[in-house]
Amino acid sequence: MIRRLLSAAGALALAMGALAATTGQAAAAPRPIGQCTTRSGAVLAVDFSDWGGPILRSCGTTPTTGYELLNQGGWRTTGTGHDGPAFICRIGYSGYKGGKQFPTPAQDDCVLTPPATAYWSYWHADAGSNTWQYSQLGAMLYKPKPGSVDLWIFGGTNIEGTKGRPTVSPDQLRARNTRPTGGKARTPQETKTAKPLPPGVDTGPAPERPVTEKPAPKPKKPKAEPKPRHSTSPSPSATKKPSPAASSGAGEAKAAPGPSAKVVNAAPAADAAHDTGSYVPAALTGALVLLVGGAGAYAARRRRRTE
Amino acid sequence: MPHRTAAARPSVSGVLPGADERRLPRTLHPLAWWVWALALATAVSRTNNPLLLLLVLAVLGYVIGMRRTEAPWARGFKYYLYLALTVVAIRVLFRAVFATGITPHDHFLFSLPHIPTPDWYAGIQLGGPVSLEAVLSAAVDGLRLACMLCCIGAANTLANPKRALRVLPGALYELGVAVTVSISVAPQLVQSVQRVHRARRLRAGRSKGLRALRGIVVPVLEDALERSLRLAAAMDSRGYGRAGSATKASRRLTGALMLLGMCGLCAGAYGLLDASTPTFLGLPALGAGALLCVAGLRLGGRRVTRTAYRPDPWWFEEWAVAGCGVLSAVLLFTNVGFDAAELNPSLYPLSWPTLPLVPAVAILLAGAAGFLAPPPLPTTAPQAAPRVPARRTEKATAK
Repeated sequence: MIRRLLSAAGALALAMGALAATTGQAAAAPRPIGQCTTRSGAVLAVDFSDWGGPILRSCGTTPTTGYELLNQGGWRTTGTGHDGPAFICRIGYSGYKGGKQFPTPAQDDCVLTPPATAYWSYWHADAGSNTWQYSQLGAMLYKPKPGSVDLWIFGGTNIEGTKGRPTVSPDQLRARNTRPTGGKARTPQETKTAKPLPPGVDTGPAPERPVTEKPAPKPKKPKAEPKPRHSTSPSPSATKKPSPAASSGAGEAKAAPGPSAKVVNAAPAADAAHDTGSYVPAALTGALVLLVGGAGAYAARRRRRTE
Repeated sequence: MPHRTAAARPSVSGVLPGADERRLPRTLHPLAWWVWALALATAVSRTNNPLLLLLVLAVLGYVIGMRRTEAPWARGFKYYLYLALTVVAIRVLFRAVFATGITPHDHFLFSLPHIPTPDWYAGIQLGGPVSLEAVLSAAVDGLRLACMLCCIGAANTLANPKRALRVLPGALYELGVAVTVSISVAPQLVQSVQRVHRARRLRAGRSKGLRALRGIVVPVLEDALERSLRLAAAMDSRGYGRAGSATKASRRLTGALMLLGMCGLCAGAYGLLDASTPTFLGLPALGAGALLCVAGLRLGGRRVTRTAYRPDPWWFEEWAVAGCGVLSAVLLFTNVGFDAAELNPSLYPLSWPTLPLVPAVAILLAGAAGFLAPPPLPTTAPQAAPRVPARRTEKATAK
């Protein structure tokens, strides 16, 4: 009897624990950029200027990780075959070039850890700070603070992150408004939000090879244009538009990448469609393997019999 | 080592029916098999597509089934397959234990007990949730290495290691002897284990368990020692290891050239692989190193005068086998007619891999070696006495 009571209590405790685990962690969610303020939400910025694109900017609620921030509201990343999803090898946004992820497979096959001369480096700037900090943690371990900016730039750094610094300043990217703008913080119905990560997931290794003097993007004077005027345009439908415009404006930006790249707001969007493909090639290969292997086995057996 | 060649033996064509048997059996030049296998391994290094990798394994199996001899070194492919399986298993195990993170989009499989690590060690995680994607990508990653191992195994199975010795330039003769002896150790050990195992079974001894292992290891070691003594005596009697008539100066010059050349080759290989090194360390260093090495080999080879007894011919079949291997590697590296992304399909998010046409045809083309190569020499005459496995092995060893 006592044993049964104990086991019941144990089960109850387990259930409570599970409940606490699920409810205790508020799910991170994407928000329109107006919902990020100087003291709430985390701004995510990804620099596509290597491919002639803009710097895309999004907003997410804060109890989150860098990885969740980068995998919600239409954003998607790919890891490497060697290190798993924790090493960010490709980044794509469904509103930019149809969700195509960069670097493209032709540039990096994402099988092994990318070289330190060409990878997505991760930078933070806490609320109020105007200097970038090279992330000492991977995207899955780092938890952005409210009002901070997360920036991903593609290029080379050295291991300490003192070389290859971003050419934009945090102030060009962070939210200026002190209170949410743009009415209700409503995300599009179809937006998939990332579920909270299991506790304590790995960050993946740091880039392996040290860099020798890859010339950092020319340190042009950062343009002090007060550009985040876009951010005041509140509705998601209005902010969604710039992305095609950005991709068309990519042509002229290609000539001079770097600081001249535009900052474009990326509204929460639906995930890019994913096609799981067809099983026919696999089945075909299976048949082919059986055929070729069977032919070999048959030849070997016949020879053995005749000898 | 009396070698049987096509010229030396009576033709057995017509004894057996079938297209294959109408061709004159002979051993293919070992270098041709090695070029074929290394080219295929190079092609494998290019791809991570499980379908292509499985196709490579099937092709290897086909060629080995068609052109394997009954020589002792030709029986080891099974063990390379075991090794390949071990490689895949270890890769999956490590991926599960040293978790690389699970994302909300992944398919959760199971969870290992998580061992927390201190903050300053946060990069490494032990245990934790394991996703289907992680297991599959680890398996595919392991499969690629396994395929390369099997390519080398196929070369070891198909080529006669002792005849491969003759290909080396004269200056490297002693080195070649050492290498050939060392690469033939594994198949010889395998054969030795099999023989002892069979002997134990014939005597109704235990063939399983730890005690049987001891009973096998001791005779195998003894066998290996005996064999190496026999080999040393045979080599000594044939005049291996003579210093020749080289002067001190020429020997020094040869050494210096070789050393510099090797340094150049190393630096060149490093420069080619690491994108961040200065450009002169890449191809120029590689070329200079190769030139120095060739010069050193020429100089060193001048003092060694050797004649080859029944040299291995390099005929059309050799060109065909080596060519179809090289062609498949070239096709996989040219990126013509297919998307590079198809060679390395991503498993995040999970999707079926595609079978790109050109690489698949290239790999099947390598399988043409299975019928392009001449049929191997039969180890026993067709009307030989009853098939006693032990006798066949002995004969093969004697050869």
